[in-house]
Amino acid sequence: MLGMVGQWACIMADMPNTNQSVLPVSIDHNRLKLTNDDANNGPLGGTLTGFRCKECGASVFGPAIFCQSCTSTDLEPVDLGDQGVLYSFTIVRIPPAGWPGDVPYVLGQVELPSGPQVLAEVIDCEHSDLKIGMPVEMTIQAVPAENGGPDKAVYKWRPAKSGE
Amino acid sequence: MVVGVGLHPFGRFPDKDLSALAIEAVLPALKDAGVKWKDIAIAYFGHVYYQGMSVGETTLSKLGLTGVPIVNVENACSSGSTAFWQAYWGITTGLYDMALAFGAEKVPRGPVTVTAEDSPERYIGGDHMMAGYALRSKRYMEDTGAPATALAQVSVKARQNASMNPYAHRKDTYTIEEVLNSRMVADPLTLFQCCPTSEGGAAAVLCARENLADYGIDESRAVSIAAAVLTSGDYNGRGADHSAFSPYRTEPAALQAYEMSGLGPEDVDLVQVHDAATIGELQQIEALHLFPFGEAWQGTVEGRTALSGDIPVNTDGGLLAMGHPFGASGIRMIHETVTQLRGEAGPRQVANARVGVAQCSGAGDVTTVHILKKG
Repeated sequence: MLGMVGQWACIMADMPNTNQSVLPVSIDHNRLKLTNDDANNGPLGGTLTGFRCKECGASVFGPAIFCQSCTSTDLEPVDLGDQGVLYSFTIVRIPPAGWPGDVPYVLGQVELPSGPQVLAEVIDCEHSDLKIGMPVEMTIQAVPAENGGPDKAVYKWRPAKSGE
Repeated sequence: MVVGVGLHPFGRFPDKDLSALAIEAVLPALKDAGVKWKDIAIAYFGHVYYQGMSVGETTLSKLGLTGVPIVNVENACSSGSTAFWQAYWGITTGLYDMALAFGAEKVPRGPVTVTAEDSPERYIGGDHMMAGYALRSKRYMEDTGAPATALAQVSVKARQNASMNPYAHRKDTYTIEEVLNSRMVADPLTLFQCCPTSEGGAAAVLCARENLADYGIDESRAVSIAAAVLTSGDYNGRGADHSAFSPYRTEPAALQAYEMSGLGPEDVDLVQVHDAATIGELQQIEALHLFPFGEAWQGTVEGRTALSGDIPVNTDGGLLAMGHPFGASGIRMIHETVTQLRGEAGPRQVANARVGVAQCSGAGDVTTVHILKKG
């Protein structure tokens, strides 16, 4: 998907894809790469993305031009997958301004196998079933955009189906 | 040295603008120091919410146009303490004889957010200060076995201290049960475990020890600044995109401050820390090495952080009871520390207080740590 690698990759990825005008667009191409962006119908699919530093090996979720750990520019884009473990969670009953979803909602702090942590809403889970350490998987939901335009494709967490 | 401090009460003041809140803290600070506005050689103004350009200049112009450099400082919740940090270094370089650090804020009501409209965080639901603190709370309780009542005790103590402080936003006391039964904001944090957003002003006057006599300043009431440290976030392997990911980022700043001052945690008699939520106080006093990691909750339950304990924390009520006008809070901590070290804290006075720490956090992983010393 990325036309270039290295320090300009995330800037290229920020450029709008005109082929997607009627489909949901990723809320951030540097965090969520959609894999069914070719006008096929069907559930939204994708992977979390980030960068890995070729010099020190640190992984970063989301956009990066410089390595946050060693400041190197020798970065390569990496897929960070769709699996993680719930590090912490909270049930938010007073939402922040602009929150487009239901209230209350569950906010999960999830650790990826490669190390970075990813904040997102946890859905499809009874509050009483939430547990630190539970395996979760990423799922994508379309959410109306705050300022008009195509829906936003938002990454969320739900209990892992494998139930390992 | 800090030679004068002043405070405008914290609370809600719909009839006063930002300048009035600031001026009504600056004038008492000048009076406390026994100096005149024209003695001030440089001023630093901490504030966050946009109130027009060069607010520091337009505010201080009401005291007279003296031509001195005036710097507007924005560093989120640490704006006031960052202004104080800059004033310290302005004096220490020898460029200026006397400096003013002041801050004021009128924080809008409601949950505080840090990102702009249509940013990804708005859709993720993570742009919520108290949700971040809630995530920290949940994990802390899981890791340490701390019960919800231990977190609530932090807030109960804050209100007890504030009940003896005429400047506090919230002066009424409550019980652990009342804290836990207040409205749930983000599980496990209830409303009474989250600091109120507030309005207020704070000011401090700084002068080098060797210049005190030139300005006729009473040295017996001057308080030394033993360390002044400001840090931003460093890489912790998890990304720096949310405060929940690095709850102990105060530790590097604390270690720098101890090294700079030649003092250690064992020398500290009282401490003011950034308790925007109850969990904040517990983790900050652990990061300052006043308690082993994971054990501050036990110390709190045992009363060690109360005014009568061996390491009193947030003696004026902290953010939880004073409220949190961003630009003023960091200097409010200096005000309380100076007042305690002078022995002028009245019913809140900590016995034999000689060394006090003021720690303030801000979005962007900002941390300030100041160590003040009697004499």
